[in-house]
Amino acid sequence: MSTILSTNSLCRHFGGVRAVNDVTIAIRDKSVKAVIGPNGAGKTTLFNTITGRLPATAGTVVFDGRDITNSPVHERVKLGICRTFQINSLFLGATVFENVRIAKQTRMGKSLKIFSKRDSLADVNEATFEILEKVGLGGKASELANTLSYGDQRSLEVAIALAGDPKILLLDEPTAGMSQLETNNIIRLIQKLVKEIAVVLVEHDVDMVLSISDSISVMHQGSIIGEGTPDEICKNQRVREAYLGDENGH
Amino acid sequence: MEKAIGNKKDRKGLVIQALVLLALVLLPFVLGNKFYLRLVTEIIIYGLLAMSLDVLLGFTGLLSFMHAAYMGIGAYTVAVFLSYVDPGASIWVTFPLGIAVTVVLAFAAGWLQVRTGGFAFALLTVAFGMMYYTLVWKARSITCGDDGLCGLPKPDISLGPIVLGNMNDSLTAYFFTLAVVAVCFFVTRRIMHSPFGAVLESIRENTERASFIGINVRNYKLMGWMLACTLAGISGVLFTYMKGSVSPTLMDARAGGIVLMMTLLGGMGTLWGAFIGAAAYIFLQDFISAMTENWMVFLGLAVILLTLFMPKGLADLPIRLGQRLTRQRSNL
Ligand SMILES: Nc1ncnc2c1ncn2[C@@H]1O[C@H](COP(=O)(O)OP(=O)(O)OP(=O)(O)O)[C@@H](O)[C@H]1O
Ligand SMILES: [Mg+2]
Repeated sequence: MSTILSTNSLCRHFGGVRAVNDVTIAIRDKSVKAVIGPNGAGKTTLFNTITGRLPATAGTVVFDGRDITNSPVHERVKLGICRTFQINSLFLGATVFENVRIAKQTRMGKSLKIFSKRDSLADVNEATFEILEKVGLGGKASELANTLSYGDQRSLEVAIALAGDPKILLLDEPTAGMSQLETNNIIRLIQKLVKEIAVVLVEHDVDMVLSISDSISVMHQGSIIGEGTPDEICKNQRVREAYLGDENGH
Repeated sequence: MEKAIGNKKDRKGLVIQALVLLALVLLPFVLGNKFYLRLVTEIIIYGLLAMSLDVLLGFTGLLSFMHAAYMGIGAYTVAVFLSYVDPGASIWVTFPLGIAVTVVLAFAAGWLQVRTGGFAFALLTVAFGMMYYTLVWKARSITCGDDGLCGLPKPDISLGPIVLGNMNDSLTAYFFTLAVVAVCFFVTRRIMHSPFGAVLESIRENTERASFIGINVRNYKLMGWMLACTLAGISGVLFTYMKGSVSPTLMDARAGGIVLMMTLLGGMGTLWGAFIGAAAYIFLQDFISAMTENWMVFLGLAVILLTLFMPKGLADLPIRLGQRLTRQRSNL
Protein backbone atom coordinates (compact mmCIF):
# COMPACT_ATOMS: atom_id res chain seq x y z
CA MET A 1 0.00 0.00 0.00
CA SER A 2 1.31 3.37 -1.01
CA THR A 3 1.12 6.76 0.63
CA ILE A 4 -1.65 8.89 -0.80
CA LEU A 5 -1.17 12.04 1.22
CA SER A 6 1.66 13.28 3.37
CA THR A 7 2.68 16.40 5.21
CA ASN A 8 6.26 17.43 5.67
CA SER A 9 7.14 19.61 8.69
CA LEU A 10 3.76 21.28 8.33
CA CYS A 11 3.20 24.33 10.52
CA ARG A 12 0.27 26.59 11.11
CA HIS A 13 0.71 29.31 13.67
CA PHE A 14 -1.77 31.88 14.91
CA GLY A 15 0.46 34.63 16.20
CA GLY A 16 2.24 32.92 19.04
CA VAL A 17 -0.07 29.90 19.10
CA ARG A 18 1.54 26.97 17.34
CA ALA A 19 -1.68 25.17 16.49
CA VAL A 20 0.12 22.84 14.10
CA ASN A 21 3.82 22.59 14.73
CA ASP A 22 6.21 20.62 12.55
CA VAL A 23 3.79 17.83 11.73
CA THR A 24 5.01 15.10 9.44
CA ILE A 25 2.51 12.35 8.75
CA ALA A 26 1.87 9.92 5.94
CA ILE A 27 -1.54 8.53 5.14
CA ARG A 28 -1.65 5.21 3.40
CA ASP A 29 -4.12 4.47 0.69
CA LYS A 30 -7.08 2.27 1.63
CA SER A 31 -6.54 2.68 5.34
CA VAL A 32 -8.09 4.45 8.30
CA LYS A 33 -5.84 6.93 10.02
CA ALA A 34 -7.13 8.41 13.26
CA VAL A 35 -5.85 11.67 14.67
CA ILE A 36 -6.56 11.94 18.36
CA GLY A 37 -5.61 14.39 21.05
CA PRO A 38 -7.11 16.59 23.75
CA ASN A 39 -9.18 19.70 23.02
CA GLY A 40 -7.10 22.39 21.39
CA ALA A 41 -4.41 19.94 20.31
CA GLY A 42 -4.59 21.23 16.73
CA LYS A 43 -6.47 18.41 15.01
CA THR A 44 -8.97 20.64 13.23
CA THR A 45 -6.23 23.09 12.30
CA LEU A 46 -4.28 20.20 10.78
CA PHE A 47 -7.34 19.33 8.68
CA ASN A 48 -7.75 22.97 7.71
CA THR A 49 -4.18 23.21 6.54
CA ILE A 50 -4.31 19.95 4.61
CA THR A 51 -7.56 20.86 2.85
CA GLY A 52 -6.61 24.46 2.10
CA ARG A 53 -9.07 26.19 4.37
CA LEU A 54 -6.05 27.82 6.01
CA PRO A 55 -2.70 28.49 4.35
CA ALA A 56 0.27 26.73 5.89
CA THR A 57 2.78 28.85 7.79
CA ALA A 58 5.57 26.49 6.73
CA GLY A 59 6.05 22.98 5.41
CA THR A 60 4.39 21.13 2.58
CA VAL A 61 1.37 18.99 1.79
CA VAL A 62 1.83 16.36 -0.89
CA PHE A 63 -1.03 14.46 -2.47
CA ASP A 64 -0.36 11.59 -4.82
CA GLY A 65 3.18 12.81 -5.53
CA ARG A 66 2.09 16.37 -6.16
CA ASP A 67 2.80 19.40 -3.98
CA ILE A 68 -0.56 20.98 -3.16
CA THR A 69 0.56 23.24 -0.32
CA ASN A 70 -0.60 26.33 -2.17
CA SER A 71 -3.47 24.94 -4.24
CA PRO A 72 -6.87 26.56 -3.80
CA VAL A 73 -9.56 24.57 -2.01
CA HIS A 74 -11.62 23.69 -5.06
CA GLU A 75 -8.61 22.24 -6.84
CA ARG A 76 -7.81 19.98 -3.91
CA VAL A 77 -11.42 18.82 -3.93
CA LYS A 78 -11.14 18.11 -7.62
CA LEU A 79 -8.11 15.92 -6.88
CA GLY A 80 -10.28 13.95 -4.47
CA ILE A 81 -9.56 15.49 -1.08
CA CYS A 82 -12.95 15.84 0.57
CA ARG A 83 -13.84 16.65 4.14
CA THR A 84 -16.55 17.16 6.70
CA PHE A 85 -16.54 19.88 9.31
CA GLN A 86 -16.57 19.64 13.08
CA ILE A 87 -19.24 22.35 13.02
CA ASN A 88 -21.81 21.45 10.37
CA SER A 89 -21.40 23.34 7.13
CA LEU A 90 -24.49 22.67 5.04
CA PHE A 91 -26.72 24.46 2.58
CA LEU A 92 -29.32 24.89 5.28
CA GLY A 93 -32.05 26.47 3.16
CA ALA A 94 -31.93 23.69 0.57
CA THR A 95 -33.35 20.17 0.65
CA VAL A 96 -31.27 17.19 1.68
CA PHE A 97 -31.39 16.10 -1.92
CA GLU A 98 -30.17 19.44 -3.25
CA ASN A 99 -27.31 19.53 -0.72
CA VAL A 100 -25.86 16.37 -2.17
CA ARG A 101 -27.03 16.94 -5.73
CA ILE A 102 -25.11 20.21 -6.07
CA ALA A 103 -21.93 18.50 -4.90
CA LYS A 104 -22.51 15.63 -7.30
CA GLN A 105 -23.27 17.98 -10.16
CA THR A 106 -20.02 19.82 -9.52
CA ARG A 107 -18.10 16.57 -9.38
CA MET A 108 -19.59 15.41 -12.64
CA GLY A 109 -18.72 18.68 -14.34
CA LYS A 110 -22.27 19.70 -15.21
CA SER A 111 -22.30 23.13 -13.61
CA LEU A 112 -22.04 25.10 -16.82
CA LYS A 113 -25.20 23.67 -18.30
CA ILE A 114 -27.22 26.86 -18.28
CA PHE A 115 -30.28 25.78 -20.18
CA SER A 116 -31.15 22.42 -18.70
CA LYS A 117 -33.21 22.11 -15.55
CA ARG A 118 -31.04 21.51 -12.53
CA ASP A 119 -33.00 18.46 -11.50
CA SER A 120 -33.25 16.93 -14.97
CA LEU A 121 -29.73 15.47 -14.98
CA ALA A 122 -30.64 11.83 -14.62
CA ASP A 123 -27.12 10.56 -13.91
CA VAL A 124 -26.57 13.21 -11.23
CA ASN A 125 -29.91 12.42 -9.60
CA GLU A 126 -29.22 8.73 -9.57
CA ALA A 127 -25.77 9.15 -8.05
CA THR A 128 -27.24 11.51 -5.47
CA PHE A 129 -29.84 9.02 -4.31
CA GLU A 130 -27.22 6.32 -4.14
CA ILE A 131 -25.22 8.40 -1.67
CA LEU A 132 -28.27 9.34 0.38
CA GLU A 133 -29.10 5.66 0.71
CA LYS A 134 -25.56 4.94 1.81
CA VAL A 135 -25.72 7.34 4.75
CA GLY A 136 -29.29 6.43 5.63
CA LEU A 137 -30.95 9.63 4.44
CA GLY A 138 -32.78 8.10 1.49
CA GLY A 139 -36.16 8.64 3.11
CA LYS A 140 -35.48 12.27 3.93
CA ALA A 141 -34.42 13.52 0.52
CA SER A 142 -37.12 16.16 0.24
CA GLU A 143 -36.72 17.58 3.74
CA LEU A 144 -35.01 20.89 4.27
CA ALA A 145 -31.53 20.57 5.75
CA ASN A 146 -32.38 22.97 8.57
CA THR A 147 -35.28 20.81 9.75
CA LEU A 148 -33.15 17.68 10.21
CA SER A 149 -32.16 16.34 13.60
CA TYR A 150 -28.56 17.02 14.59
CA GLY A 151 -27.54 13.43 13.92
CA ASP A 152 -29.08 13.53 10.47
CA GLN A 153 -27.28 16.77 9.75
CA ARG A 154 -24.03 15.06 10.69
CA SER A 155 -24.86 12.28 8.24
CA LEU A 156 -25.61 14.87 5.57
CA GLU A 157 -22.14 16.34 6.12
CA VAL A 158 -20.70 12.96 5.30
CA ALA A 159 -23.00 12.57 2.30
CA ILE A 160 -21.90 15.90 0.80
CA ALA A 161 -18.26 14.94 1.22
CA LEU A 162 -18.89 11.55 -0.38
CA ALA A 163 -20.50 13.22 -3.38
CA GLY A 164 -17.08 14.57 -4.31
CA ASP A 165 -15.87 11.00 -5.05
CA PRO A 166 -13.05 11.33 -2.53
CA LYS A 167 -9.76 9.52 -2.83
CA ILE A 168 -9.11 10.63 0.69
CA LEU A 169 -11.90 11.54 3.08
CA LEU A 170 -11.22 13.65 6.16
CA LEU A 171 -13.85 13.38 8.84
CA ASP A 172 -13.71 15.85 11.73
CA GLU A 173 -15.54 14.23 14.66
CA PRO A 174 -18.24 12.72 12.44
CA THR A 175 -20.11 10.95 15.19
CA ALA A 176 -20.12 13.74 17.79
CA GLY A 177 -23.74 14.20 18.81
CA MET A 178 -24.92 11.10 17.00
CA SER A 179 -27.02 8.37 18.55
CA GLN A 180 -25.45 4.93 18.97
CA LEU A 181 -27.44 3.70 16.00
CA GLU A 182 -26.21 6.52 13.79
CA THR A 183 -22.67 6.05 15.05
CA ASN A 184 -22.73 2.37 14.14
CA ASN A 185 -23.99 3.29 10.72
CA ILE A 186 -21.03 5.64 10.22
CA ILE A 187 -18.59 3.00 11.46
CA ARG A 188 -19.95 0.49 8.97
CA LEU A 189 -19.77 3.12 6.26
CA ILE A 190 -16.12 3.87 7.03
CA GLN A 191 -15.27 0.18 7.02
CA LYS A 192 -16.85 -0.16 3.61
CA LEU A 193 -15.24 3.00 2.21
CA VAL A 194 -11.78 2.08 3.29
CA LYS A 195 -11.70 -0.81 0.85
CA GLU A 196 -11.44 1.83 -1.87
CA ILE A 197 -10.13 5.05 -0.36
CA ALA A 198 -8.18 6.50 2.54
CA VAL A 199 -10.05 7.86 5.54
CA VAL A 200 -8.64 10.27 8.10
CA LEU A 201 -10.62 10.53 11.26
CA VAL A 202 -10.58 12.97 14.15
CA GLU A 203 -12.54 11.38 16.94
CA HIS A 204 -12.86 11.56 20.71
CA ASP A 205 -14.61 8.21 21.02
CA VAL A 206 -11.61 6.08 22.01
CA ASP A 207 -13.38 2.74 21.60
CA MET A 208 -14.41 3.60 18.08
CA VAL A 209 -10.92 4.82 17.21
CA LEU A 210 -9.26 1.69 18.56
CA SER A 211 -11.66 -0.59 16.76
CA ILE A 212 -11.57 0.84 13.25
CA SER A 213 -8.19 2.52 12.80
CA ASP A 214 -5.25 0.99 11.00
CA SER A 215 -2.97 3.67 12.34
CA ILE A 216 -3.31 6.35 14.98
CA SER A 217 -1.46 9.65 15.36
CA VAL A 218 -1.64 11.42 18.68
CA MET A 219 -1.48 15.19 18.73
CA HIS A 220 -0.63 17.32 21.68
CA GLN A 221 -0.08 21.08 21.62
CA GLY A 222 0.34 21.12 17.89
CA SER A 223 2.81 18.25 17.61
CA ILE A 224 2.54 14.56 16.93
CA ILE A 225 3.71 12.84 20.08
CA GLY A 226 3.05 9.28 19.10
CA GLU A 227 2.13 7.17 16.15
CA GLY A 228 1.36 3.52 15.56
CA THR A 229 -1.22 0.80 15.44
CA PRO A 230 -4.00 0.84 18.04
CA ASP A 231 -2.06 -1.72 20.08
CA GLU A 232 1.12 0.29 20.01
CA ILE A 233 -0.69 3.47 20.97
CA CYS A 234 -2.29 1.76 23.94
CA LYS A 235 1.12 0.76 25.18
CA ASN A 236 2.82 4.07 24.46
CA GLN A 237 3.74 5.65 27.79
CA ARG A 238 4.06 9.20 26.48
CA VAL A 239 0.65 9.06 24.88
CA ARG A 240 -0.92 7.76 28.03
CA GLU A 241 0.55 10.55 30.06
CA ALA A 242 -0.33 13.31 27.66
CA TYR A 243 -3.65 12.22 26.33
CA LEU A 244 -5.28 9.28 27.95
CA GLY A 245 -4.13 10.99 31.10
CA ASP A 246 -4.79 7.95 33.21
CA GLU A 247 -2.43 5.95 35.28
CA ASN A 248 -3.32 2.40 34.46
CA GLY A 249 -4.66 2.28 31.00
CA HIS A 250 -8.27 2.58 29.98
CA MET B 1 -37.53 10.11 -5.84
CA GLU B 2 -40.26 12.07 -7.58
CA LYS B 3 -41.20 13.86 -4.41
CA ALA B 4 -37.74 15.27 -3.87
CA ILE B 5 -37.58 16.64 -7.37
CA GLY B 6 -40.38 19.16 -7.49
CA ASN B 7 -40.96 20.27 -11.06
CA LYS B 8 -44.66 20.84 -10.62
CA LYS B 9 -44.50 24.09 -8.72
CA ASP B 10 -42.09 25.47 -11.25
CA ARG B 11 -44.41 24.75 -14.14
CA LYS B 12 -47.28 26.47 -12.33
CA GLY B 13 -45.14 29.55 -11.86
CA LEU B 14 -44.26 29.57 -15.53
CA VAL B 15 -47.95 29.43 -16.52
CA ILE B 16 -48.77 32.36 -14.24
CA GLN B 17 -45.86 34.39 -15.59
CA ALA B 18 -46.91 33.67 -19.17
CA LEU B 19 -50.43 34.86 -18.31
CA VAL B 20 -49.06 38.07 -16.82
CA LEU B 21 -47.10 38.59 -20.02
CA LEU B 22 -50.26 38.09 -22.04
CA ALA B 23 -52.03 40.65 -19.88
CA LEU B 24 -49.19 43.09 -20.48
CA VAL B 25 -49.48 42.53 -24.21
CA LEU B 26 -53.17 43.42 -24.01
CA LEU B 27 -52.62 46.36 -21.65
CA PRO B 28 -52.23 49.13 -24.28
CA PHE B 29 -55.64 48.26 -25.70
CA VAL B 30 -57.22 48.81 -22.31
CA LEU B 31 -55.05 51.72 -21.26
CA GLY B 32 -55.97 54.58 -23.56
CA ASN B 33 -53.72 57.07 -21.80
CA LYS B 34 -50.32 57.51 -23.45
CA PHE B 35 -48.78 58.95 -20.30
CA TYR B 36 -49.50 55.78 -18.38
CA LEU B 37 -48.24 53.64 -21.20
CA ARG B 38 -44.89 55.43 -21.01
CA LEU B 39 -44.90 55.03 -17.25
CA VAL B 40 -45.44 51.29 -17.59
CA THR B 41 -42.65 51.16 -20.19
CA GLU B 42 -40.35 52.82 -17.70
CA ILE B 43 -41.43 50.39 -15.00
CA ILE B 44 -40.58 47.46 -17.26
CA ILE B 45 -37.12 48.90 -17.96
CA TYR B 46 -36.42 49.50 -14.29
CA GLY B 47 -37.89 46.11 -13.51
CA LEU B 48 -35.21 44.59 -15.73
CA LEU B 49 -32.55 46.57 -13.86
CA ALA B 50 -33.91 45.49 -10.48
CA MET B 51 -34.14 41.90 -11.73
CA SER B 52 -30.50 42.02 -12.78
CA LEU B 53 -29.60 43.08 -9.26
CA ASP B 54 -31.68 40.17 -7.97
CA VAL B 55 -29.46 37.79 -9.93
CA LEU B 56 -26.55 39.18 -7.96
CA LEU B 57 -28.14 39.76 -4.57
CA GLY B 58 -30.96 37.23 -4.40
CA PHE B 59 -29.23 34.34 -6.14
CA THR B 60 -25.49 34.81 -5.74
CA GLY B 61 -25.63 36.65 -2.42
CA LEU B 62 -23.47 39.56 -3.52
CA LEU B 63 -24.30 43.18 -2.83
CA SER B 64 -23.84 45.97 -5.37
CA PHE B 65 -24.49 49.50 -4.17
CA MET B 66 -24.07 51.11 -7.57
CA HIS B 67 -25.75 48.72 -9.91
CA ALA B 68 -27.36 51.59 -11.81
CA ALA B 69 -23.86 52.49 -13.03
CA TYR B 70 -24.04 49.61 -15.50
CA MET B 71 -27.43 50.76 -16.73
CA GLY B 72 -25.81 54.16 -17.19
CA ILE B 73 -22.93 52.71 -19.16
CA GLY B 74 -25.30 50.97 -21.57
CA ALA B 75 -27.42 54.09 -21.86
CA TYR B 76 -24.50 56.48 -22.40
CA THR B 77 -22.82 54.21 -24.93
CA VAL B 78 -25.89 54.34 -27.14
CA ALA B 79 -26.43 58.04 -26.50
CA VAL B 80 -22.86 58.98 -27.38
CA PHE B 81 -22.93 56.83 -30.49
CA LEU B 82 -26.19 58.39 -31.68
CA SER B 83 -24.91 61.90 -30.91
CA TYR B 84 -21.48 61.75 -32.49
CA VAL B 85 -21.07 58.76 -34.73
CA ASP B 86 -24.28 57.98 -36.53
CA PRO B 87 -27.64 59.52 -35.56
CA GLY B 88 -29.38 57.11 -37.84
CA ALA B 89 -27.64 54.00 -36.50
CA SER B 90 -29.68 50.83 -36.56
CA ILE B 91 -30.61 49.16 -33.28
CA TRP B 92 -28.72 46.17 -34.66
CA VAL B 93 -25.57 48.24 -34.25
CA THR B 94 -26.26 50.24 -31.10
CA PHE B 95 -27.83 47.42 -29.08
CA PRO B 96 -24.84 45.05 -29.28
CA LEU B 97 -22.49 48.00 -28.84
CA GLY B 98 -24.21 49.08 -25.61
CA ILE B 99 -23.95 45.54 -24.29
CA ALA B 100 -20.32 45.15 -25.37
CA VAL B 101 -19.11 48.32 -23.62
CA THR B 102 -21.02 47.38 -20.46
CA VAL B 103 -19.50 43.90 -20.52
CA VAL B 104 -15.94 45.22 -20.86
CA LEU B 105 -16.25 47.73 -18.02
CA ALA B 106 -18.16 45.27 -15.83
CA PHE B 107 -15.45 42.69 -16.36
CA ALA B 108 -12.73 45.08 -15.21
CA ALA B 109 -14.65 45.78 -12.00
CA GLY B 110 -15.83 42.22 -11.47
CA TRP B 111 -12.44 40.64 -11.98
CA LEU B 112 -11.09 42.60 -9.03
CA GLN B 113 -14.25 42.44 -6.91
CA VAL B 114 -14.46 38.64 -6.84
CA ARG B 115 -10.92 38.49 -5.53
CA THR B 116 -12.11 39.97 -2.26
CA GLY B 117 -14.50 38.84 0.45
CA GLY B 118 -18.18 39.75 0.69
CA PHE B 119 -17.82 43.08 2.46
CA ALA B 120 -14.93 44.31 0.33
CA PHE B 121 -16.86 43.21 -2.75
CA ALA B 122 -19.70 45.56 -1.85
CA LEU B 123 -17.28 48.41 -1.12
CA LEU B 124 -15.54 47.92 -4.43
CA THR B 125 -18.87 48.13 -6.26
CA VAL B 126 -19.11 51.63 -4.79
CA ALA B 127 -15.57 52.49 -5.83
CA PHE B 128 -16.03 51.31 -9.41
CA GLY B 129 -19.53 52.74 -9.67
CA MET B 130 -18.31 56.14 -8.48
CA MET B 131 -15.40 55.96 -10.87
CA TYR B 132 -17.57 55.22 -13.88
CA TYR B 133 -20.06 57.84 -12.80
CA THR B 134 -17.33 60.46 -12.42
CA LEU B 135 -15.82 59.57 -15.79
CA VAL B 136 -19.16 60.16 -17.47
CA TRP B 137 -19.83 63.31 -15.53
CA LYS B 138 -16.38 64.84 -16.08
CA ALA B 139 -16.08 64.00 -19.76
CA ARG B 140 -18.02 67.19 -20.48
CA SER B 141 -16.87 67.60 -24.04
CA ILE B 142 -18.52 64.31 -24.91
CA THR B 143 -21.27 63.81 -22.34
CA CYS B 144 -22.17 67.47 -21.60
CA GLY B 145 -21.64 66.81 -17.88
CA ASP B 146 -24.62 67.58 -15.67
CA ASP B 147 -26.83 68.53 -18.60
CA GLY B 148 -26.53 65.13 -20.17
CA LEU B 149 -27.37 64.40 -23.76
CA CYS B 150 -30.87 65.11 -24.92
CA GLY B 151 -32.92 65.29 -28.04
CA LEU B 152 -31.37 62.10 -29.31
CA PRO B 153 -32.88 60.59 -32.44
CA LYS B 154 -35.21 57.73 -31.64
CA PRO B 155 -34.30 54.63 -33.58
CA ASP B 156 -36.51 52.60 -35.87
CA ILE B 157 -37.36 49.14 -34.68
CA SER B 158 -36.42 46.99 -37.62
CA LEU B 159 -36.22 43.32 -38.41
CA GLY B 160 -33.87 43.13 -41.37
CA PRO B 161 -35.38 45.35 -44.06
CA ILE B 162 -38.79 45.49 -42.38
CA VAL B 163 -39.41 48.54 -40.20
CA LEU B 164 -41.91 47.72 -37.46
CA GLY B 165 -42.13 51.23 -36.05
CA ASN B 166 -40.22 54.02 -34.34
CA MET B 167 -39.41 54.43 -30.67
CA ASN B 168 -41.07 57.87 -30.86
CA ASP B 169 -44.35 56.09 -30.98
CA SER B 170 -45.27 55.11 -27.43
CA LEU B 171 -46.99 51.92 -28.57
CA THR B 172 -43.89 50.77 -30.49
CA ALA B 173 -41.69 51.72 -27.55
CA TYR B 174 -43.90 49.73 -25.23
CA PHE B 175 -44.01 46.58 -27.32
CA PHE B 176 -40.31 46.66 -28.16
CA THR B 177 -39.37 47.12 -24.52
CA LEU B 178 -41.80 44.44 -23.42
CA ALA B 179 -40.45 41.99 -25.99
CA VAL B 180 -36.80 42.52 -25.07
CA VAL B 181 -37.46 42.40 -21.34
CA ALA B 182 -39.68 39.33 -21.66
CA VAL B 183 -36.90 37.52 -23.49
CA CYS B 184 -34.40 38.62 -20.82
CA PHE B 185 -36.76 37.49 -18.07
CA PHE B 186 -37.51 34.04 -19.43
CA VAL B 187 -33.91 33.38 -20.39
CA THR B 188 -32.65 34.48 -16.97
CA ARG B 189 -35.37 32.45 -15.30
CA ARG B 190 -34.24 29.41 -17.20
CA ILE B 191 -30.62 30.05 -16.27
CA MET B 192 -31.49 30.41 -12.58
CA HIS B 193 -33.30 27.07 -12.69
CA SER B 194 -30.31 25.41 -14.33
CA PRO B 195 -27.37 23.63 -12.72
CA PHE B 196 -25.49 26.90 -13.15
CA GLY B 197 -28.17 28.71 -11.12
CA ALA B 198 -27.84 26.02 -8.47
CA VAL B 199 -24.15 26.85 -8.18
CA LEU B 200 -24.92 30.55 -7.68
CA GLU B 201 -27.44 29.67 -4.98
CA SER B 202 -25.00 27.39 -3.23
CA ILE B 203 -22.52 30.28 -3.07
CA ARG B 204 -25.20 32.46 -1.53
CA GLU B 205 -26.20 29.77 0.96
CA ASN B 206 -22.71 28.83 2.13
CA THR B 207 -19.71 30.14 0.25
CA GLU B 208 -17.18 28.09 2.14
CA ARG B 209 -19.07 24.84 1.67
CA ALA B 210 -19.45 25.68 -2.01
CA SER B 211 -15.68 25.78 -2.42
CA PHE B 212 -15.39 22.54 -0.43
CA ILE B 213 -17.59 20.69 -2.89
CA GLY B 214 -15.20 21.77 -5.61
CA ILE B 215 -16.77 24.95 -6.94
CA ASN B 216 -14.38 27.62 -8.16
CA VAL B 217 -16.23 30.31 -6.24
CA ARG B 218 -14.40 33.25 -7.79
CA ASN B 219 -15.19 32.19 -11.32
CA TYR B 220 -18.85 31.61 -10.61
CA LYS B 221 -19.20 34.88 -8.73
CA LEU B 222 -17.68 36.58 -11.74
CA MET B 223 -20.12 34.85 -14.08
CA GLY B 224 -23.06 35.87 -11.87
CA TRP B 225 -21.75 39.42 -11.84
CA MET B 226 -21.33 39.48 -15.61
CA LEU B 227 -24.85 38.18 -16.16
CA ALA B 228 -26.23 40.83 -13.80
CA CYS B 229 -24.28 43.65 -15.45
CA THR B 230 -25.17 42.53 -18.96
CA LEU B 231 -28.85 42.68 -18.08
CA ALA B 232 -28.33 46.09 -16.47
CA GLY B 233 -26.61 47.27 -19.65
CA ILE B 234 -29.59 46.11 -21.69
CA SER B 235 -31.92 48.10 -19.46
CA GLY B 236 -29.71 51.14 -20.15
CA VAL B 237 -29.91 50.67 -23.92
CA LEU B 238 -33.69 50.43 -23.69
CA PHE B 239 -33.73 53.55 -21.53
CA THR B 240 -31.95 55.67 -24.15
CA TYR B 241 -34.14 54.30 -26.91
CA MET B 242 -37.27 55.21 -25.00
CA LYS B 243 -36.33 58.54 -23.43
CA GLY B 244 -34.05 59.92 -26.11
CA SER B 245 -32.00 61.53 -23.37
CA VAL B 246 -29.52 60.58 -20.66
CA SER B 247 -28.09 62.41 -17.68
CA PRO B 248 -25.60 61.47 -14.98
CA THR B 249 -28.36 61.12 -12.37
CA LEU B 250 -29.15 57.88 -14.19
CA MET B 251 -26.07 56.31 -12.66
CA ASP B 252 -25.21 58.22 -9.48
CA ALA B 253 -25.19 56.84 -5.95
CA ARG B 254 -28.84 57.76 -5.44
CA ALA B 255 -29.80 55.78 -8.50
CA GLY B 256 -27.84 52.86 -7.09
CA GLY B 257 -29.82 53.14 -3.86
CA ILE B 258 -33.09 53.25 -5.74
CA VAL B 259 -32.42 50.00 -7.62
CA LEU B 260 -31.49 48.38 -4.36
CA MET B 261 -34.77 49.59 -2.87
CA MET B 262 -36.76 48.26 -5.81
CA THR B 263 -35.15 44.84 -5.49
CA LEU B 264 -35.66 44.70 -1.73
CA LEU B 265 -39.21 46.02 -1.97
CA GLY B 266 -40.10 43.38 -4.50
CA GLY B 267 -38.44 40.56 -2.64
CA MET B 268 -35.25 38.77 -3.52
CA GLY B 269 -34.65 35.47 -5.20
CA THR B 270 -37.77 35.40 -7.39
CA LEU B 271 -36.77 37.54 -10.42
CA TRP B 272 -40.39 38.59 -10.98
CA GLY B 273 -40.49 40.24 -7.55
CA ALA B 274 -38.11 42.85 -8.93
CA PHE B 275 -40.77 44.01 -11.39
CA ILE B 276 -43.29 44.39 -8.59
CA GLY B 277 -40.70 46.34 -6.64
CA ALA B 278 -40.00 48.63 -9.59
CA ALA B 279 -43.72 49.15 -10.17
CA ALA B 280 -44.35 49.91 -6.50
CA TYR B 281 -41.48 52.36 -6.34
CA ILE B 282 -42.32 54.20 -9.54
CA PHE B 283 -46.05 54.35 -8.81
CA LEU B 284 -45.44 55.55 -5.27
CA GLN B 285 -43.03 58.16 -6.54
CA ASP B 286 -45.48 59.29 -9.18
CA PHE B 287 -48.43 59.25 -6.81
CA ILE B 288 -46.82 60.91 -3.79
CA SER B 289 -44.82 63.46 -5.74
CA ALA B 290 -48.08 64.74 -7.17
CA MET B 291 -49.30 65.48 -3.65
CA THR B 292 -46.28 66.88 -1.87
CA GLU B 293 -42.87 68.27 -2.63
CA ASN B 294 -41.33 66.27 0.18
CA TRP B 295 -42.23 63.04 -1.51
CA MET B 296 -38.86 61.44 -0.76
CA VAL B 297 -39.70 61.54 2.95
CA PHE B 298 -42.96 59.70 2.40
CA LEU B 299 -41.41 57.32 -0.03
CA GLY B 300 -38.73 56.52 2.52
CA LEU B 301 -41.42 55.99 5.13
CA ALA B 302 -43.36 53.67 2.85
CA VAL B 303 -40.22 51.65 2.17
CA ILE B 304 -39.41 51.42 5.89
CA LEU B 305 -42.93 50.22 6.71
CA LEU B 306 -42.86 47.66 3.94
CA THR B 307 -39.47 46.40 5.06
CA LEU B 308 -40.70 46.06 8.64
CA PHE B 309 -43.95 44.33 7.90
CA MET B 310 -43.02 42.46 4.75
CA PRO B 311 -39.36 41.54 5.10
CA LYS B 312 -39.61 39.12 2.21
CA GLY B 313 -40.88 41.86 -0.06
CA LEU B 314 -44.07 42.34 -2.01
CA ALA B 315 -43.47 39.11 -3.89
CA ASP B 316 -44.38 37.34 -0.67
CA LEU B 317 -48.03 38.43 -1.03
CA PRO B 318 -48.88 36.46 -4.18
CA ILE B 319 -46.76 33.56 -2.93
CA ARG B 320 -48.72 33.32 0.33
CA LEU B 321 -51.99 33.82 -1.48
CA GLY B 322 -51.09 30.98 -3.83
CA GLN B 323 -50.19 28.73 -0.91
CA ARG B 324 -53.50 29.49 0.81
CA LEU B 325 -55.48 28.71 -2.33
CA THR B 326 -53.63 25.43 -2.78
CA ARG B 327 -54.26 24.51 0.83
CA GLN B 328 -57.97 25.29 0.50
CA ARG B 329 -58.23 23.21 -2.60
CA SER B 330 -56.52 20.26 -0.96
CA ASN B 331 -58.88 20.61 2.00
CA LEU B 332 -61.92 20.24 -0.21
N1 LIG C 1 -8.70 30.64 13.37
C1 LIG C 1 -7.97 30.61 14.51
N2 LIG C 1 -7.42 31.73 15.00
C2 LIG C 1 -6.69 31.71 16.13
N3 LIG C 1 -6.45 30.61 16.83
C3 LIG C 1 -6.96 29.45 16.41
C4 LIG C 1 -7.77 29.39 15.21
N4 LIG C 1 -8.15 28.11 15.02
C5 LIG C 1 -7.63 27.41 16.04
N5 LIG C 1 -6.93 28.19 16.88
C6 LIG C 1 -6.19 27.76 18.06
O1 LIG C 1 -5.37 26.68 17.67
C7 LIG C 1 -5.38 25.66 18.67
C8 LIG C 1 -5.81 24.36 18.06
O2 LIG C 1 -7.19 24.42 17.78
P1 LIG C 1 -7.96 23.27 17.00
O3 LIG C 1 -9.34 23.73 16.76
O4 LIG C 1 -7.18 22.87 15.83
O5 LIG C 1 -7.96 22.11 18.08
P2 LIG C 1 -8.68 20.70 18.02
O6 LIG C 1 -7.64 19.68 18.29
O7 LIG C 1 -9.48 20.54 16.80
O8 LIG C 1 -9.62 20.79 19.30
P3 LIG C 1 -11.10 20.18 19.54
O9 LIG C 1 -10.90 18.76 19.98
O10 LIG C 1 -11.64 21.01 20.64
O11 LIG C 1 -11.85 20.31 18.28
C9 LIG C 1 -6.25 26.16 19.79
O12 LIG C 1 -5.44 26.74 20.79
C10 LIG C 1 -7.11 27.20 19.14
O13 LIG C 1 -7.47 28.20 20.06
MG1 LIG D 1 -11.44 20.26 16.36
